[in-house]
Amino acid sequence: MPPEETAPRPEPRKPLSLQLKAGLAITGAIVLLGLLAPWIAPHPWDTISMRTRFLAPNATYWFGTDEYGRDVLSRLLMGARLSLAMGLSATAVSLAIGVPIGLLAGYFRGWVDEVLMRGADVLMAVPPIMLGLLVLAVTPPALWKTALAVGFVYIPQIARLARSVTLSLANEDFIQAAKARAESTSYILFREILPNAWPALIVEASLRVTYAILLGSALSFLGLGAQPPSSDWGLMISEARSFLDRAPWIALAPGLAMCLLVIGINLLGDGARERLDPRLRSRAGKA
Amino acid sequence: MAAYIAKRIVFIALVLVAVSMLVFAITTLLPANVAYLILGPFASPEQVRALELKLGLTDPVWQQYLRWAGHFLSGDLGESTLMNRPIAPLLMEALSRSLVLTSVSFVLIAVIGVGLGVVAALRHGRALDHGVSIATYLGIAVPEFFWAIVVIVIFAAWLGWLPASGYEPLSAGILIWAKHLIAPTITLVFGHLAHVSRLTRSSMIEVMQSPYVTAARAKGLPERVVVLRHALRNALLPTITVLALDFGRLMGGIVVVETIFAYPGLGRLVVFSIQNRDIPTLQAAILVVAAIYAFANLVADLLYAVLNPKIRFGRNAS
Amino acid sequence: MRKLPTLIAAVIGLSLSLAQAETCQAQSILRVALGTTLSQTDPAKTTIGDEYVYVHLVFNGLSRIDPDMTVKPDLAESWTASDDLKTWTFILRQGVKFHHGRVLDADDVVATMKRILDPATGSRARTSLSMVDNVSAVDAQRVKFDLNIPYAGFADIFADRQLRIAPKDKLGELSTHPIGTGPFMFKSWSPGDRLELVKNPDYFEKGLPKLDGVTLRIVPESAARMAALQSGAVDIVWSMPYESVEKFKNHPDVRTDGVSTPTWDGVILNNDRPPFNDVRVRQALALTIDKGAIVELALFGQGDPTFSPIPPSHPYFNKSLKFNPPDIAKAKKLLSDAGFPNGFDVPMQVPQEREQRVRVGVAVRDMARAAGIRINIERVPFASYTANVAGKAQMYVDGYFARPTVDTAIHPFYHSQGSWNKQLWLYKDARVDQLLDDARKTNDEASRKAIFEKFQAIVEETVPGIIAYSAAHVNGVSRKVEGFKSTPMQWLELKSVSLKP
Repeated sequence: MPPEETAPRPEPRKPLSLQLKAGLAITGAIVLLGLLAPWIAPHPWDTISMRTRFLAPNATYWFGTDEYGRDVLSRLLMGARLSLAMGLSATAVSLAIGVPIGLLAGYFRGWVDEVLMRGADVLMAVPPIMLGLLVLAVTPPALWKTALAVGFVYIPQIARLARSVTLSLANEDFIQAAKARAESTSYILFREILPNAWPALIVEASLRVTYAILLGSALSFLGLGAQPPSSDWGLMISEARSFLDRAPWIALAPGLAMCLLVIGINLLGDGARERLDPRLRSRAGKA
Repeated sequence: MAAYIAKRIVFIALVLVAVSMLVFAITTLLPANVAYLILGPFASPEQVRALELKLGLTDPVWQQYLRWAGHFLSGDLGESTLMNRPIAPLLMEALSRSLVLTSVSFVLIAVIGVGLGVVAALRHGRALDHGVSIATYLGIAVPEFFWAIVVIVIFAAWLGWLPASGYEPLSAGILIWAKHLIAPTITLVFGHLAHVSRLTRSSMIEVMQSPYVTAARAKGLPERVVVLRHALRNALLPTITVLALDFGRLMGGIVVVETIFAYPGLGRLVVFSIQNRDIPTLQAAILVVAAIYAFANLVADLLYAVLNPKIRFGRNAS
Repeated sequence: MRKLPTLIAAVIGLSLSLAQAETCQAQSILRVALGTTLSQTDPAKTTIGDEYVYVHLVFNGLSRIDPDMTVKPDLAESWTASDDLKTWTFILRQGVKFHHGRVLDADDVVATMKRILDPATGSRARTSLSMVDNVSAVDAQRVKFDLNIPYAGFADIFADRQLRIAPKDKLGELSTHPIGTGPFMFKSWSPGDRLELVKNPDYFEKGLPKLDGVTLRIVPESAARMAALQSGAVDIVWSMPYESVEKFKNHPDVRTDGVSTPTWDGVILNNDRPPFNDVRVRQALALTIDKGAIVELALFGQGDPTFSPIPPSHPYFNKSLKFNPPDIAKAKKLLSDAGFPNGFDVPMQVPQEREQRVRVGVAVRDMARAAGIRINIERVPFASYTANVAGKAQMYVDGYFARPTVDTAIHPFYHSQGSWNKQLWLYKDARVDQLLDDARKTNDEASRKAIFEKFQAIVEETVPGIIAYSAAHVNGVSRKVEGFKSTPMQWLELKSVSLKP
């Protein structure tokens, strides 16, 4: 895929596109709800209550209750923190390791580039979910390990992107000037190139967050992520499978929540990208 | 061109070797060695050791790897340690079934995805565009396992139109074979439409605004011809690349879809062999998957080169 | 070009008629849905319920257990024991043919038994035969077992799954082309998909089986299994998920056929490692548990609380023992006496592929919290249970299928020298050892009942583990299936079953 060109500074005072506004609203709402979950959750999220099992959504339990009598809404809210944490931490890991690798590869070229990029190719040779399964099979499952594994799996993509951005920047004047000034490599990389690369990286990273959330939930679904009684959304859907005919809300709620979150982040990322790169905006002009 | 292809193929072979080493390395870390699993809970340490010696598990890792690699290259894929049957037929069966599933899904993704993208582009900014956007967004925003479950509940349990799972060979009749494919295919297709349709849409929009199309219109050509023959052909360039990459992505999608629909393909084989520590099967299965993935990428790159004269002779465009 | 539509029509017509032809031929094939794929077709090496279904259809043992839990002759038409109960002679039925045509003789039995006794085979049944010193063929029709201890119920053991008889010349191929004597013969196995069996025309029980074949289909997703039953794609769902039982109570096409069994699930506590090596800690945990609630949560009511592998329906069940409601205050006191005034944290493994046991784990975790025992659940694939969890972890959830006899269900698990004990809770109590040894020496029902009642009382007091319940076994059966009855042994009795057209 062609690299994002670094953007010229955005024109000041342009109103936010509808896309961006929607993305911010949705994502912001979910983040907020997740952060406040322990305080705003109407009922305990992991206490078994024999008398309130399988209740359909009603006034007390807005999204109904599950097979243990636990309130689905409260579990959903607590699960939001887990999904967000998974997405963010996994992406943070990918960035922390992938960006320096990409910078090095793009700046030095030559054999450094070859070695690093071939290594990335090997990691990318296996579908992410299989790599994740393999890595997680070596250790007893836990959610934080899943986040690490997901982060690890997506390093190559981030590295590649960082590399292309670096490649396109490496010949810019200000870089040549810095070289002429005999600045150290790390200065050039981290103080000249990186600040200009960030916009493209951040936009890509925001989409990576959605991939991380989806992959993490798939791994949880397959049993390799969050453990019961955690209310990770993937785990919730997995456990709700057996009860789809009598209590579909147990699975529907986290499914829709995940859908909303991913759409929100996508809109945010797309909106940000359109804002930063005017070329992609459609003629119909959704300013 | 030929040199480029040759170079890439050599490269793929190297990558596969590296993958096999990586997988082998990871599997040595797997807790629960398979000798224990075979002999069961009453095995004494001596028996476990004896079986480990017999299976060659006590040799240093690199030696085990080389032994395995030697057999593999000479065509002997070995035996599944768990099921005591040769792997090759197992793998071939699983592979052919997965290929059927992914190929059918792939064709549908291409046709429907491009179609939706074109329609959205031609009506961009309007209701239909948004509609397509939302529908395809739903596809990628919700995890595949969720759609799979929804499909089972609605089409199999409620309506009873489709069988809930499994696989019937062609010998059982074309209709029956097809029926069993529908549910997993719908799930896979729905989950991947968005990439294709969105890219088609944005590149169509760009191309429709290009001087090339304006010129075609100015020539007085009917709109349909302009769209289909001139605009689409150019717009398809990036889409084709994405499509080929999608084939690889489908290989990842089958892990979950095959598990839920009990479709006995490659994805399920991988999960099963990881869970049961069946290392030889796992090695073979992952290599096959990686090979398909790599070739899908190669095809993508080749198509891009063929269709885009600028990089035909191996010069890097980016 | 014009020929194309005709061609297409012809193809469609042909395949439709082929499909029709298939259904005409395959008229009486029973389709069963299983939840887990079979890893093994070698009966000696099978370990899970789904595999046992297949074993029971393809193989016979020297004796068999009918659905009413009585032991009857099977391949052996009679047996005698010496007065000291240490030498047993089995007289084989004449003219029983293996699926490949050869007639069964004593050498086949000896070869099968020797193979099971060989540690290298890795059969779970090896320890069931731990009292056997020697097995030999007296003549073509008689097999002799020399035991090292007197064992009253020796013949009953052979009804068990892994002890089924295989031909001596085909022992090495049991994993690829299994040959047995059973009502159905192995036809093909597509791992992960289906196992096909066909009728054994020479089965030694005349007139049986009535079906032409049985297909075992692997459908791991429970929603898919039940959907298949509802739509008629399968005729029997083996061991249907408990949560679906209620829905099918009054279904027009499907009925639920359930039976209570001695199969049990429970929390296994390692009596050899802290913190559960202290009996007070184990008792404290037991005091937090409400078994009735666990039956509701895990089995949706399809089971009964129990104290040990002896189920409430069994004559030996100790009716004078009570299921006490949780007593948190006492639990906390016990814990603090044991040195845990603030409770403690402990990991607990549950098997990934067994939903009901996961639910037991979640329920126990919630209940134990009240006394300060903070449990952290880890789901582990069944495959690594054997190597990493069983007998090693501090606490984990597990369960065991019905055994042919009370002794085989109890002795290996609770006797300090018992084979399964070491893989489980490493429990040691001299009184229990004495009781179980005494039970083996007598055939008098009244004394055995007294012995086992005392046993249950001690076990309830010393809590090697918390046995939550005896589970019911429920099959989902299409109303087209005639003559089917579920058995507490949890395999499928299909030889007298037929399908309505």
